[in-house]
Formats: sequence, structure tokens, C-alpha cells
Amino acid sequence: MSIATQRRKAALGRFWGEFRRDRGGMTGLVILGIFIAVAILAPILIPADALDVTKADGERFDPPSLGYPLGTDESGRSILVLLAYGTRISLTVGLAATIVAMVIGTAVGIMAGHFRGVGSHALVGVTDWFLVIPFLPLAIVLATVLGPSTLNLIIVIGITSWAGTARLIRAQTLSIEGRPYIERSKALGAGNWHQMTRHVLPNVFPLVLANTTLTVAIVILSETTLSFLGLGDPLAPSWGAILDRAFSTGAVSQGAWWYVLPPGICVVLVVLSFTLVGRAMERIVDPRSNAVAA
Amino acid sequence: MSLLQEVAVGEPDPIRPRRGTGSTARIIGSKVLRAVVTLAFVVVFNFFLFRLLPGDPIGLYTRGRNMDAEQIAALREELNRPIWEQFLTYVRNPFDPGIDSTRFSQPVWELIGERIWPTLLLLGTAIVLASIIGIWIGIRAGWKPGSRFDKISTGTTLTLYSMPEFWLGMMLLIVFGVGAFGIPGLFPVGGIVSPGVDTGSPEGWLNVLWHMVLPCTTLTLIYLADYSLVMRASLVDERRQEYLMLARAKGLRDVMVRKRHAVPNALLPTITLIFLSLGFVVTGAITVETVFSWPGLGLLTYEALRGPDIPLLQAIFLLFSIAVIGANLIAELLYVVIDPRVRQ
Amino acid sequence: MIRRMIASVAAATIVAVPAAAVPQAQAADPVVFTVGMLADVDSLNPFTGILAESYEIFQLQYATLMSASSADFTPTPALAESWEVSADGKTWTYTLQPDLLWSDGVPLTANDVVYTFQRILDGRYEQRNFGNYVRNITSVTATDDRTVVMTTKEPSPIMERLAVYILPEHVWSSIDGKAVKSFANEPAEGEITVGSGPFLVVERRTGQFIRMVANDNYFKGRPNVDELVFRIYNNPDALGQALVKGEIDFASGLTADVFSTLEGQEGITTYAGDYSGFNELAFNLGAATSDGKAIGDGNPHMQDQRVRLAISHAIDRQQLVDKILDGYGTPGSTVIPPLYSTLHIDPGTQGYDPALSNQILDDAGYAMGPDGVRVGPDGVPMRYRLFVRSDSDSSVKSGEYFKSYLAAIGIEAEIKPVDENALFEIIGRGEFDMFEWGWVVEPDPDYQLSTFTCAKRSYEDGGEIYADLSDSFFCDEAYDELYAKQAVTTDQAARADIVKQMQQILYDDVAYVVTFYYDNLEAYRSDRFTGFVGQPEGTGSLTFQYGTYTYENVAPISDEGGTTDEPTAAPSPGATDEAGNETAAEETSGGSNTGLIIGLVIAALVIVGLVIVLVRMRSKSQEGDKE
Repeated sequence: MSIATQRRKAALGRFWGEFRRDRGGMTGLVILGIFIAVAILAPILIPADALDVTKADGERFDPPSLGYPLGTDESGRSILVLLAYGTRISLTVGLAATIVAMVIGTAVGIMAGHFRGVGSHALVGVTDWFLVIPFLPLAIVLATVLGPSTLNLIIVIGITSWAGTARLIRAQTLSIEGRPYIERSKALGAGNWHQMTRHVLPNVFPLVLANTTLTVAIVILSETTLSFLGLGDPLAPSWGAILDRAFSTGAVSQGAWWYVLPPGICVVLVVLSFTLVGRAMERIVDPRSNAVAA
Repeated sequence: MSLLQEVAVGEPDPIRPRRGTGSTARIIGSKVLRAVVTLAFVVVFNFFLFRLLPGDPIGLYTRGRNMDAEQIAALREELNRPIWEQFLTYVRNPFDPGIDSTRFSQPVWELIGERIWPTLLLLGTAIVLASIIGIWIGIRAGWKPGSRFDKISTGTTLTLYSMPEFWLGMMLLIVFGVGAFGIPGLFPVGGIVSPGVDTGSPEGWLNVLWHMVLPCTTLTLIYLADYSLVMRASLVDERRQEYLMLARAKGLRDVMVRKRHAVPNALLPTITLIFLSLGFVVTGAITVETVFSWPGLGLLTYEALRGPDIPLLQAIFLLFSIAVIGANLIAELLYVVIDPRVRQ
Repeated sequence: MIRRMIASVAAATIVAVPAAAVPQAQAADPVVFTVGMLADVDSLNPFTGILAESYEIFQLQYATLMSASSADFTPTPALAESWEVSADGKTWTYTLQPDLLWSDGVPLTANDVVYTFQRILDGRYEQRNFGNYVRNITSVTATDDRTVVMTTKEPSPIMERLAVYILPEHVWSSIDGKAVKSFANEPAEGEITVGSGPFLVVERRTGQFIRMVANDNYFKGRPNVDELVFRIYNNPDALGQALVKGEIDFASGLTADVFSTLEGQEGITTYAGDYSGFNELAFNLGAATSDGKAIGDGNPHMQDQRVRLAISHAIDRQQLVDKILDGYGTPGSTVIPPLYSTLHIDPGTQGYDPALSNQILDDAGYAMGPDGVRVGPDGVPMRYRLFVRSDSDSSVKSGEYFKSYLAAIGIEAEIKPVDENALFEIIGRGEFDMFEWGWVVEPDPDYQLSTFTCAKRSYEDGGEIYADLSDSFFCDEAYDELYAKQAVTTDQAARADIVKQMQQILYDDVAYVVTFYYDNLEAYRSDRFTGFVGQPEGTGSLTFQYGTYTYENVAPISDEGGTTDEPTAAPSPGATDEAGNETAAEETSGGSNTGLIIGLVIAALVIVGLVIVLVRMRSKSQEGDKE
């Protein structure tokens, strides 16, 4: 076992070395680092009171000033504070929903690729169905039934985002299972579970990782959109919810660009960063070029 | 769901048969059948999902007026038939003109019929514009990967692709509709036509066009980001293959031959992917129509969320699904018809 | 390029207008008064529509026997010139105005009144909107063309407030009980709906506008404007902008933010009118069915009046008015709004005093716990579920404030946003501790007061619990007795007395914490129109009243009235003259579709063309391969 572990460690080292050379990927990573730091440090650096509406004493809809670097919202709270707390929510929901999507997607993908017969066809059918159905109408329908809360948002996004991953993983599984050593392990009596977890999973893992990163980008965009439509928890100031508030309190007609511009820029930066990192990882991991073998 | 993922990995699904196992008609037939089955599942899903909703739309009606229990019970009787009975009724005709929206007190399909044209106009225009511009950008960028044009355009389109479309719309609205940073607000802040203007006249068309500028620009920018990235990746892919193939078979040939092969080969998956991305297009429409008060299906969806108006949401979901499934079918059929590799 | 085109079109239209105005035989351009509102009507059929916007159209189109005066809501004659009640209070005789006519010239007689009421009495669907007015009526007859006699089971003050829209028998008799459910009551092209109110619907475009024309046969005299148009905007921003740009003359239901930006703008007058609505923080006072069977899982602390009183003192109503309504409102007290001056009381004993709250809770045995949350004498911590409506901004914001206020006195409120439908269900089943919602109160207090009676609590049917009107589950014998008494007291002063006593009971028991009475924020082009009438006059709302006073009275300021384009914003092509509108508008529905269809066909051709080009290129390249 330890030889395999050693080899994996070496592979990881090579992977990191290559990643470091990718400028896009590194830029993305740095930006992400900043946002994650903000998310972690927000409750430490900013008193929770700053979010309390009853204690907000800024002017309503004030443009940026020294005291309020990004201006104020309709209750007089600092938008910078809202953004900082929003980072936590957007990133948390993004990560959680991605995990849900990836777990479902990877599991379905490997099983669909590994097994034959009716079960596999059914899984493929379900995957195809979720791939075809347009995301937002489906998400709206699900979110309406479940009700507005952060947990439900995670579930809804997870359910609507796993299919792309599943398809990819299935294709990978099929190609991996065609390799000779899998045949040999089957001949030696390796069971389904053993094959899937010991052979397929480690091999698809790099691809899964790259795909995960790209999925987070999409998930965060989805969360922003759903929160904007009012389907998330209205009390949690995720970036999408901030934009929703801005829209419905008339920030647009007041020309309060400071309420609209910053949350959007945050979304763009985070999504872009995840995309850059993900693309960099894919370039390294792409089976057609130099694959990282286990 | 991400087209970037599909293209980045490159190969289309290896399981889809690259060799036709029968006549073209049979292939077409099986694809149509699959589309119908998918649609059937949408109808079933629609029905059961909403039955799970712990809601009683009639309750909200009675809140505003004084009625005795008898009157309420009478109204409730109409809604409380056994569930299998309701299912059969629904499945038999999901387009039943008798299904009323709870919010508008009007048949849902009538409502949808009234609101579909503005959406088609807006989306249609945006898709056409975005295709032309996006494909052009993609070709130029993919032609010389790594060139300055490529770097700038890819950076720009990636950034656009990472943007929430409604945010872009709101910013455009603030700057060009209301006026900010010294730029005067020349465009209307919403709606499809100024009040009192007859949309049947040429001035009316101009007025609609003027209202359409901002929302259409928003959508076009978002869509073209998607299309140009796909076109570029597809072309880069194709050229790599072409180059290898030509290098092996005939040695270096001149640029004319490459152009005759690479671009058309790359164009096909892009066109089909444009059809396949209708789901993405629809998503953008809902939020952008909301921001610009464009009275189409997207705005109708947003309005249906108050309450929520379940029958209306169900119907819109069904309609969007039909559109997307239809577009997918067209894309698959295009592949069958145009790509000779599939037929051989 | 677009701007040049716009300029040339505008120039052409400006040239055209004087030319059209020259022939003196022609009537002047019609005066159009345009009102912008935030929601579309749900139906133009008075038996179907339930939204406030729909009721606004109904009362414009169909007169009633009597209406509420603009001064102080007292019943004033409308279609009925006078009425009297028999000594036993059970027979009412209404005398109609002389020479009444429907808009199409057919005489409006007692038969129409009888027809309308009988239809409601006999009908099922028709009962939905008007059931409560006819509850007590046993018979309706026309003794002659101008006299209607109605008999009731008990003396009933509501007979002076019959807000039932009298419908033309010669139009509605052809729509039977089944057809009425799907009858839209929308006029066909070129037709005008038959009615007796000041304006009549002539065109409706769903989601966009409703166009009404003045009724020449209106019994109070033809209104001063020729057309009344309601335009629908889906967000308050757009509504405000439309007023500034001159697209509309009147904006109703503005939000505080937009309202503030309109203040002081040239030509615009903003008006914060008193309104008959209030918002409240409600409690689960012991959810049970009308039979007394306990339901739900409300925290029993809510049944302790001292807890509710402490909560009432902890809420800073003035801050809510300042922050959520931007000052446009009044701190709340009782459930009958101050607008109804003859009925409203304000005991004034539940002011903002968190220190007092803490005292009350300490004395009542709700000791403060180590984590800042109090624990009741039953050992249960004061943690409650507070539901807010996710689709209402003010509800969500109120929730945020409540959470903070309650935390300050040691109560932890879990704010739970749900949509309105879901909340209605939750309340009906008693599965809540507190929630935030609001009511709009009619001039006749009966309906609002009934929501606190024992009989209006939820009921059970076939094993399921269904919600009724009561969302507080308040149940008090003394209150119920007073309710029964006011329902049969026709003397207004005596009745007002009883209503005040009832309000006091509810207030002292803290059945609700009424947070505020919100104003109806309106704004209008005072440079174009005058003659706005509030209800009550001077302080009350100008539109969405219990009457149509503004619409009947409003008149243009200049000789050429109507919506003209203002140079405050960019020139919009085609918006310059109204003269062409009447005839042109009739073509709109067909025209818009044609234009769009043409656009679609072009798009489709382009796509097909692309495909053909592709196929051609493919076959060419294949040939090239063979070389």
C-alpha cells in the first residue's frame, strides 16, 4: 500500500509544480485566498452589531464616504460590512452545494459506468433527464416547494448541478475500466465495491477535483441567481440577497451604484477565480495530454 | 451543465454510437422517442412535485372576506378529489384551458400565450446577435491561440461568463437608463413600449426597439461569451486534429485547405451547442426580464413566485422544458443529418 | 444613428399635431388621466377579482346603493337617493335616484338591484365576494321602478353599507351560474362595458394597462376627464421614473425610498395619505378549533398576558415607522385605524420601555438565564418561532427589528421566512408562536372585529384542520357578547361605543401588538391636474379609497390636458401626441403580433440559411478532399 501512497504523493508534488507555473491558475488561487480570509476573519474583525438594523446609524442610501467606504444600504448599514458577511454565506453555500452535487454526481457516474444492465441504463436516463431540463425553471419549482431557507437552497442547487459531473465521471470510468489491470483484478476476484473504490475512484479523482472547482463557480452563480429571485433565506445577506434588496428597495432608480456594483464584482471575482483554477487543473489533468497516473 | 466542461475535455460522449447501426430514419425515430419520453417524465414530475406542497391556495381567497364555513366547504369540495383522479385529469391534458392561475384568475395557458411574444422577440434577437458576434470572436481567437486578440478576448469573455446576467443588467440600467458617472440616462428604465404608443406602427416598432436596447445588450453580452468560448475551443481542437492529420498524410498544405476544413468542422459542434444551450438562454431571460420589467415569460415567472402561484409555475416549467427538449432534439438531428461520420 | 432617427420621428409628429388641431369641427384631444399602479387586476369580473386593484376598477365601473362619504366614511347616498328602516329594524326601503340610466341608455331600475341581490342570494360562486353583505337578508323585492324593499332576520347596521356592485340585468342575465366562473367581463374590440359608474372599461391589455372612458350617463354628472388609464408597473422604481418622465400623471402605492426621491421635484406633488391598513405582531393565544379542541404546538408562554405585554413594551414602534416606512406612518395601537375617527381609540399605555419589559418578566418569574435567554417558571426557555412573509420586504425587515428588540429583553426569536400561502396554513394549524402580517380595515368594523371571535377559529373537516378568519385564536366570552350586540345595533353612536369597548379589551389583553398604520404613498403631476380628493378629506388617501372621489373630480390644469411629453427626459419616439391614440390603439393587439411575427420569421430564415451554408461548405470540402 505504501508504494501506492508514495507514488500518489509524488504525483501530487508534480501536480503542484505544474500548477504553479500556470499564471491564470495562480491568480485565481490568490484571489480566492483573499476571499476565504475575509470569510474567516469577518466575525472576528467586525462586531456583529454592525449588522443589527436597530443599531444602524448611517444615513440611508449614502454614497461612499470615509466612514462608510462602500456607502450605506436602505437601513443605514455599511455595505462593506454586508459584503464581508455575505462572503461567508456565499462561499459556505457554494461549497456545501458543490459537495452535494459532487457526491451524487461521482457516485452516479462511477456506478453508471461500472455496472451494466437495467440499473446502469436507468442511471444514465436520470442523468440525461437532469442534463436536458433547464436549470432555473427546475430550481424555481423545487425551491418553491421546499420553502425559503439556506439549507433548502443547498439541496436545490445540489440536485440541479450533479448531472454534468456524472456524465463526465461515467465516461472516465468506462475508459478506465477498459484498461488491462482492471481486467486482471476482476479475474483475481475483486468485487464491485473494491474495483470502484480502489481502482476507479483514485483514477478519476484528479478529474473530479478539476471538475469540482469548475462546479463551484457555477454553483455560486446559481446561488446568486436564486437568492436574487428571493428563493433563499431573505435574512442572510449573501451577495445575491444583497442584490435582491438593492433591486427591490429602488437602488436602481436612485442611482445607488455602490449598492449594486460591489456585490456583483465580488461574484465575478470569485467565479472567475474558481474558473481559472479549475481550467488550470484540467489542463494538467486532461487525460489526452499528460495524465497524472496513480 | 457547463459547456466549458464539455469542451475543455474535448471528446464528445464516447458511448454515443459513431457508426450508424441502421438507417437514418431509425436513428431519427429513436431520438424522437427519447425526447417524448423525457417530456413525459417532466409532466409526471410536475404533477407529483406540486402535490407535495403543503399549501391551500383557496385559503388566501377567504382571508379577505367574510364567508361562513358552509360557503368555504363548498369551494373546497371542488379541489379535494382523490389524488389519482387529479393525476389522470392532469396527465390527460396538461394544456387544459380550464387550469386557472391563482394570482391572475385567468387560464394559465392564456396568460402564457399573451406573454410569449415579447420573450421570443428579446431572446431571438439576442441569440442571433450573440451567435454572429460570438462565433466571429471565437474564430479569430481560435485561429491564432496565444495572440493578443486571443488573450484579450478570452479574458473578456471569461469575465462576462462569470457575471450574473441580472447584475450586468442592473449596472447598464443605472448607467444608461437612470444616468450615472456623468453619463445621461437616455434609455427607458423598463417596459416594452412607452405608454400611448401604437405598436403596430413604424414609430411603435422603433419605440419597442429603443426599449429593447438595454435588455438585449445585456443578454447578447452574456450569450456571446458562452458561444465565443465554445467556438474557440472547438476550433483549437479541430485545428489540432487537422494539423496532425494533414501533416501525416500530405505534408504541409497551404492555408486555404485548412480553412476549408477546420472552420466548418468546428462550426458544426458550435451550432449544435447553441441549440443545446437554450437552457442557459432561458435562465438568463428570467432574471433579465425582471430587471427591465420586460413583459415576457421571464417576468411572468417572477410574478408567479409571489404566493406562489403554483399552476402558473407548473405551466411555465412545462413550456420551458418543451422548448429545451425540442432544441436538444433539433441539435441531435442536425448532427445526424449533417455529420456524415455518424451515418457511415 | 438611433438618436437621429428619434429626432426625425419626433419632428414629424410635432408638425402633424398642429395640422390636426386646425379643423374646428373636430373635438379637442381627449383628456387622459393616467394612473400608475404596482399590480395588475386579477379579474374584471366583480364576482372573481379579490385584489385591491380590481376593486378600484369595480367601483369605478359599477355604482352601489350607497357609498362612504369622503369626509368621514359615513354612509352617503349613491344610487339610492334615500333609505329608511322600519321600527323593528328588519325592513329596509331604498328609494333610487330619479331617471337613472346605464351607460348604454337602458334605464337603471329597481329590477337591476333586485336582480343583483337575488343572484348573490341564490348563487354559490357569487357568494364568495359578497356573501357577508347578504348574510342577513331574507328577501329582496322591487315595489316599483324606483323602490327596493329588503327584509332581514335581525336588525343589521350593514344594510347601510351594502358595497354590492349593482349589475345590469340586461347584460348579466345571459351569463349563468356556471359561465360566471370563467367570465372575464372584458369588452370586445370597439365595445364599452355597460356600467353605471363614472368610468367604463373599454380596453385591457393584461400586465400592461386598463383603459376606461368617461360615462356620459353617470348620475353625478360626467367626469372632467375623458379617459382614465391604469398602467401597470412591476416595481416601484419604474413607477417613480414613469411619473418623472411624464408617462403617468399619478402614482399610487409607492415605496418610501422612491417617494423620497420624488419629493421636491418640479411639477410633482408627493402626498402621504392616511390609510386604513395596519401591520401587527401576532401571538398564538392558544390555538384551538371553534369547538374548543386544542391544535398545534404553540409555546404556552404566548398565552401569558404578561409575556405579551412585556413584548409590546419592548418594541420601538416609532423606530419601525422611521426606518421601515421612512417616517410615513403612525405608531400602532388598536385594531381600528385612526382614519376612522369616530371609532378609533388610543389608550397609549404600551409605549417603548424595555426596562419595564424586563421588570414585568422578572416579576412574572421568567428569570434571566446564563446565556442571555430567560427561562419560564415551567422551566422552558423563552425561545420562540417568529414567522415573517418572505415575499414582503417590510415583513422581512420587521423580523430583523423584532429579533433585536426581543433579544434585548432576553427572548430569543427564531425568524422563519415563509411564503404567504404556507404561512396561512401554518397559522390555521396553530403551528407557530408569533408571526408578522397586516390587515386592511373596511369602514364597517364588523368584519375586522369578527376575526377575534371564538367562532372564527379554525375548524375540522374530515380529519383535516382548516384555517378560518382568526389568526390570533383569541376567545373571550365578554368580547363575543359585545360582538353580537354591535352586529344588531343600528344607532351609530351606540354602536361606536361598543366598538370602542371591544378595542380596549383587545388592547389590554395584547391580542396583537399593532406595530404601525402605514400611509399610502402617492405622487402626482400637480403641473397637469388638480382636484384631488382625499378620504378623509385633506389627510386620507387619494386613490384606493372606499369611493371614487378623486377620479370624479380631477380636472386638467391647462386647456390642452392629457399626457404630453415632458422635456425632463430623453425624447421618446411616438409619445408626443395623444390625438392619434384612440383609433390607433384599437389596432395595437393585431399590430404588435404582426411585427413580432415578422421579426421571428427573419430570425428563423437566418438560422436556416446558416444551416444550408454549413451543408454546402461540408460537401465542398469533401470534394476538395478527393483532389
